[in-house]
Amino acid sequence: MIWTSRLASLWRNLVHRGRSERDLDDEVRACAAILEDENVARGLPPEEARRQALIEMGGMEQVKEDVRAVRMGARLETVGQDVRYGVRTLARTPGFTTAAVLALALGIGATTAIFSVVDAVLLRPLPYVHPHRLAVVLTRGTGPVAPGNFLDWRRDATSFEAMGAAEAWGTNLGGNDRPERVDGVRLTSDIFPLLGVPPQLGRTFSSEEEQPGHTRVVVLGHRLWQRRFGGDAGVVGRSITLDGEPHVVIGVMPRGFEFPPFWATGAELWAPLPLAERAGSRNGQSLRIFARLAPGATLERARAEMATITGRLESEYPGTNRNVVVRTLDDIVVGDVRSALLVLLGAVAFVLLIACANVAHMLLARAAARRKEVALRAALGASRARVIQQLLTESVVLAAMGGAAGVALAAAVLRVLIAISPGNLPRLETAGLDPRVLAVTVVVSLATGVAFGLVPALQASRFDLSGALHDGERGSTVGAERHRLRRFLMASELALALVLLVGAGLMVRTFVALRRFDPGFDPRRVASAVMSLTGSRSEEPARRLAFYREVLERVRAVPGVASASAINHLPLAGDVWGFPFQVEGRPPAKPGESPSAAFRVVLPGYFQTMGLPLVRGRDFTEDDRLDAPGTIIVNEWLAERFWPGADPIGKRLTLDDLDRNPEWLTVVGVTRNAARGKWAAAPDEEMYLPLLQSHLYLERKGGPFSYLTLVVRTSTDDPAAVAPSLRSAVWSVDGNVAVSEVQTMEEVVARATASPRFYLLLLGSFAAAALALAALGIYGVMSYSVARRRNEIGIRMALGARPADVMQLVMGEAIAVAAAGGAVGLVAAVLMTRLMGGLLYGVAATDPLTFAGVCAILTMVALAATYVPARRAVGVDPLKALRAE
Amino acid sequence: MAPPANLLQGTLDLLILKTLTLGEKHGVAIARRIEQVTRGTFVVKPGSLFPALHRMEEAGWLTSSWGESDNNRRARYYQLTRAGRQQLKTETQEWGRISVAIAAALRG
Repeated sequence: MIWTSRLASLWRNLVHRGRSERDLDDEVRACAAILEDENVARGLPPEEARRQALIEMGGMEQVKEDVRAVRMGARLETVGQDVRYGVRTLARTPGFTTAAVLALALGIGATTAIFSVVDAVLLRPLPYVHPHRLAVVLTRGTGPVAPGNFLDWRRDATSFEAMGAAEAWGTNLGGNDRPERVDGVRLTSDIFPLLGVPPQLGRTFSSEEEQPGHTRVVVLGHRLWQRRFGGDAGVVGRSITLDGEPHVVIGVMPRGFEFPPFWATGAELWAPLPLAERAGSRNGQSLRIFARLAPGATLERARAEMATITGRLESEYPGTNRNVVVRTLDDIVVGDVRSALLVLLGAVAFVLLIACANVAHMLLARAAARRKEVALRAALGASRARVIQQLLTESVVLAAMGGAAGVALAAAVLRVLIAISPGNLPRLETAGLDPRVLAVTVVVSLATGVAFGLVPALQASRFDLSGALHDGERGSTVGAERHRLRRFLMASELALALVLLVGAGLMVRTFVALRRFDPGFDPRRVASAVMSLTGSRSEEPARRLAFYREVLERVRAVPGVASASAINHLPLAGDVWGFPFQVEGRPPAKPGESPSAAFRVVLPGYFQTMGLPLVRGRDFTEDDRLDAPGTIIVNEWLAERFWPGADPIGKRLTLDDLDRNPEWLTVVGVTRNAARGKWAAAPDEEMYLPLLQSHLYLERKGGPFSYLTLVVRTSTDDPAAVAPSLRSAVWSVDGNVAVSEVQTMEEVVARATASPRFYLLLLGSFAAAALALAALGIYGVMSYSVARRRNEIGIRMALGARPADVMQLVMGEAIAVAAAGGAVGLVAAVLMTRLMGGLLYGVAATDPLTFAGVCAILTMVALAATYVPARRAVGVDPLKALRAE
Repeated sequence: MAPPANLLQGTLDLLILKTLTLGEKHGVAIARRIEQVTRGTFVVKPGSLFPALHRMEEAGWLTSSWGESDNNRRARYYQLTRAGRQQLKTETQEWGRISVAIAAALRG
């Protein structure tokens, strides 16, 4: 009640200022008139009556001013005055203002841009209902789960109110003249209700639609709906062709809906996942399991319950229920990038701190020049608090200008960030300068203004009147203290810059190490394209091999193509399937404990085309057919592990349950270790099977077995020029085969190393900005120091000091401060670079070379920034300096 | 007439609240009434009166509206709110306590 009346007054005073001013004026006039009436009634003549009334009033303006002073928001009005005054003062010194605003814009802009990324990727909740209650059940980190296990877990686990499975699904969307390869996901019907996001149009699927034989249905993503169907609401109920089969569109999801948020991201359509036929399978692991915690259940309880359930299943079906992990969806989505982003946010905060320190320098120098103004205000009766308020307001105005410029800068930086991002930052494209981010920017700007303005304001307001009015600050204690403060700021800038430089230096070393990494194959002059035969005539087992041969023949005829072959999963870009095997002569492994290796299927000529040398034995030939003895090629790592010191050629192994099983496959060749899914990861076992001997790849229809990646090596240095002709070569054989991921191997490699390049670029820019700001700071402090010591230097020179002595004097001071800052920085860097562990490759977080190099750079920059002021000191004319006394 | 005593801020508030218990009044009337009941001890100048009235209105103890004075002048009339009556009660008790304490101290 009281509060509402106060707020109403505040509103009236600030917003309806005109009206409340008029009311006040009327009221005061009415009072004067009444007093005048009284005087007239007392018998005074009219002139005298008015005069007396005005005397009693005590000045109408004064009364009004007194009323204004007690009103709500009176304080705000003085702030308004201070802001206007601050703007005028800043406008009078455009050089200072521009420099300070630029430094702040740099700090605030970079901070805003990085914060908006952190906000989009880490802080904003996933676009589902109560996303923090969502969990993921996987094996070994992010590994998939077999259908039999999922169905048992779903039946038995009570800590989850719902559990559903998802399986990656690529499909050929027909309709236009060429089929388009579209990424989708198959889901059990539990998933959509579990996420809690209703469709924008139509409905999602029911459990009946999961049954085999039911009409095929599909739910479209918003992007696909816009791109291929022009956002037509009539698409619901219409039939579309996927993999050559009709599917009925039953719903469209709203804009911004994405699922899954990790693995198989970029899915644009969702179809039911029929599990009935695979219900008993505990080996074919292809599902990712999503679940919602039951009301009241905790993650710990869910983990304990899953441990019990999997323990029981493991004893029933040995080897099938190990290493099952329950993680929150949040954790799995951002877990990998969290530390990297926090490092970036920390780095950018350092840049902001350095910018603050720099502006604080400038303000200190300015405060010295404004001592007379401040003293005058004090002499005219301004209290210290009032002077501080005014000076702080000026700092905040400065910070606000820096913030405004910073937002413009952030918008530009953000565009660049999104363009160069490595693609592993989920939801980065949603980052923007939305109100939430801008609110943070405003708070950061204001805090910045107070941070760099407070100490200079406290200092400046500690005037000593007589001193200020007739002396410079030479010799005064305030001056000495202020100078200590400047040296402290200079040392802190150096310390902060050193930490950033070390971070950037470590990224440079990481990047160099990554560039030097040998992927085993030669990515230059190689282009590739994925052919997906699903739903086409060429998928028929009778035609499939003929199709591949025909395509290769046409591709080889393309000018500039030196050789061509194909593989199921391209290294670095494609999937990696692990497959269990047994080695001849070794005791059979217990269920679930077989060794496994990456499973690659190739056509003859792949190794030559890829530039992946065979270190022993031979490549597959056209003679390694279904009717010939089974052959296999392994990598050095596998050979080393299972036949150490022996010749692996002629050794045999068998795949646990693949086609032609049980059959011994004879090792005919050994290749170098090739980079697999991740650049610069440690090598792992890998095996290559001839496609010509694979029933799966020759005969199995649908799903992952009817697609293959075409690989060509060109005779020119421009494989990108050949890439388009891959598409036309495929379509000249069968126009219903979808062609996707047409790219050069160098692009694939660039993408695999995009993440460190991104962090290097950002940390490098921050470090460069920090170094520049720190150099400016040192230059400013030393120039000031020289100016302040003019008299002293003059006396020393008059007494016979040589220029070298003066240089030593000035540089000595700088070196002492720089050394102190550097020492603190080194300790901080050792402590903080440990947080970068996950970003580094091939270099220790405390790499001595990096630390030494950074120290050298910083020393050089500090000396260079000191040299100019020191030269100036040497140029001091002793006579002039002493006369100025 | 003895020179008017200095008004402590709390005292002025108390006197204004008390004066307005008799009904709404404009500024000059409030001042005159205070002068009258304190037998000229307190003379309230407009320079003190108006800031006090505005402050008390913003605190929610008074409300004001335009009205006509006895000799047909337009004037701002103030009246007590429920919160104002409550405040008067509190301040009266407080005043009682203080005056007893001061009297005791002076007697001592």
